[in-house]
Amino acid sequence: MAATVDPPRTQTPTPASAPDEPGLERAAEQAESRRGFLIGLPSLLYLVVLFALPLVIVVVYSFATRSRTGRTILADWNLSSYARLFDPLVLEIGLRSLWLALLTTVISLVVGYPFAYYLATRSPRVRGVLLVLVMIPFWSNFLIRTYAWRVILGRDGPFVRFLEPILGTEVQLLFTPFAVVVGLVYGYLPFMILPLYATLERLDFSLVEAARDLHATGWQAFWRVTWPLSRPGVVAGSILVFIPSFGAYVTPEILGGGRTTMIGSYVVRQFLSARDWPFGSALSVAILAVMLVAAVVYFRTRDREA
Amino acid sequence: MDDHQLAGTLDAGPLAAKTPVLDTVTTEVAAVSGIEVDAPLPAVRLQGVTKRFPGGRNHDPVVAVDDLDLDIRDGEFFSLLGPSGCGKTTTLRMIAGFEYPSAGSLQIFGQEVGLEPPNKRPVNTVFQSYALFPHMTVAKNIAFGLEMQQLPVDEIDRRVAEVIELVQLQGREGRRPKQLSGGQQQRVALARALVNHPKVLLLDEPLGALDLKLRQAMQLELKRIQEQVGITFVYVTHDQEEALTMSDRIAVMDGGRLLQVGDPEEIYDRPRTRFVADFIGDTNLLIAEVLDADTARLYDGTVVRVPTGAPAGSTVTLAVRPEKLGLWHADAERDLRLDALTGTIRRVTFLGNAINYEVVAGERAPVELVVRQGNTPGIEHFADGERVRVRWLPGSVAVLED
Repeated sequence: MAATVDPPRTQTPTPASAPDEPGLERAAEQAESRRGFLIGLPSLLYLVVLFALPLVIVVVYSFATRSRTGRTILADWNLSSYARLFDPLVLEIGLRSLWLALLTTVISLVVGYPFAYYLATRSPRVRGVLLVLVMIPFWSNFLIRTYAWRVILGRDGPFVRFLEPILGTEVQLLFTPFAVVVGLVYGYLPFMILPLYATLERLDFSLVEAARDLHATGWQAFWRVTWPLSRPGVVAGSILVFIPSFGAYVTPEILGGGRTTMIGSYVVRQFLSARDWPFGSALSVAILAVMLVAAVVYFRTRDREA
Repeated sequence: MDDHQLAGTLDAGPLAAKTPVLDTVTTEVAAVSGIEVDAPLPAVRLQGVTKRFPGGRNHDPVVAVDDLDLDIRDGEFFSLLGPSGCGKTTTLRMIAGFEYPSAGSLQIFGQEVGLEPPNKRPVNTVFQSYALFPHMTVAKNIAFGLEMQQLPVDEIDRRVAEVIELVQLQGREGRRPKQLSGGQQQRVALARALVNHPKVLLLDEPLGALDLKLRQAMQLELKRIQEQVGITFVYVTHDQEEALTMSDRIAVMDGGRLLQVGDPEEIYDRPRTRFVADFIGDTNLLIAEVLDADTARLYDGTVVRVPTGAPAGSTVTLAVRPEKLGLWHADAERDLRLDALTGTIRRVTFLGNAINYEVVAGERAPVELVVRQGNTPGIEHFADGERVRVRWLPGSVAVLED
């Protein structure tokens, strides 16, 4: 009895709703993606207006021409600004910036790695204290801290006073490449330490024990196991130090005293004193290209490790 | 290559080199100490080894291993068994060289190594989580120890190929550890240690991460490999079944102390302490009053034939395994060779291969016993509430020290 009555009841809704379900699913998915877009919209607008647009202007200006009076003529598009990048003077400044940035990166790595290693092998409480110590300098203004170095390295500073009697000659530390590198290392060292720490903290130290167990000395265990496994942190830290060092403006201005010109200062000079915006823009695009290469190296390395 | 040939080639390496060294060490020690040495030198000898870690509560040091005396014989499969925190892993790590003993002497084949760094000890370790180098291939992982010892390249290649065959990893040489299954990673870890021909191989719960079936297969495999290469294995585990299955001898530890050392049968059948009896297998613990040198009485009045060696009137704890007990109807005829207790079944639990019966005897101070009967055909099944007689051979009851 029940068998003859029931089937029509249960069967009727099934064919009716079955074709509808994929449609409902699609509608739900569309709503989902619309919501995602709306959430991202404010940030997207911000980035387009304040980052992408200025960048486009810089790129456009780099193809423009400078008038005799220093105005930028947005016509007669040409590559002459780019040709000037190969002037001996520009190349010298570019290579010097590259050299000082590399030096800064290497010194930061040599100083930062042992510290990050020490940090990663401490108890959680000690780590917390040391991490705060690394970050404390960020709490005061970078410009002011750089001026403080002017006092430390200056004529009446402790270094000069200490060195001059020993060496018996006049010592000039401030306004030298040395001072610039000291200032850059000081400023960007935390950017080296933090990614190194993040990598070393995740390192499985039983791997080091395994290496020691397999007859490696402490050094061999480091070079064969710890170092290769911390390479992602080394690369990340190096990129994070290299990029801002290469384009640095404040540090070479204050500690280099205009004598050790780096590319950042040179760009500023094009815009402010030389009033050659097309050339300044071309320089900026060139710096961007160098940094892009560095970033590509970073992502390539990271993907290979993973 | 069949197994016999393989064993031959592998044995020639470590043993040929080891035997003469061992002899000279033996005689040297004998000459220096003036002690008569007739027993062979133990592979590992711990004397009064203690390990304290700083900074427990109130900054008191934590004693992880407490005054441990232990000899591990050459060529045996020796297990350190105990619950987590019992000090077994710390003991292993001291033998490996990852921890230095706070006190005591640690010798490997007669040589004091307590303060030597791990790379200078003739031992290798299979780690709990394998600790394979993720940035190296299987072959590079295995060759690592030999490269560190700066062996000639052709010898490294030969020994790596040999050990890869021993652990049956042919064709996986170029893989990274991540591309292997858990069981295969386990084999790489084993090969990486064995390829160095250590005098002692240390294994820290190496099968813990594997599922049951694979673990059982690897237990047999490990035992086969150990017999084949003839190296002393020191095996840390918290799994009593694993220890019983694989070991020549077992040391049971708790709270940093050594409770009992013996072969698996000894540990299982004649546990010396309550902890050992309880930790290994299931057991019935019974409190008894000593009557004379050979008998004791349970609370319900049952007299048990057991040589306690304790003075009459004192209380002892007895241990008896559930499967050593037999179950009969209460009116079954007496058998003078067996001790017996009469009681009532309180609960029946079906285990598949066996049936557990909980039996209670006596009223004011009841004695509770678990009896395990194998689920064999023809065996009589009993029901809840039935009156039964539990019988056992007098020799199957162990007297505990605590």
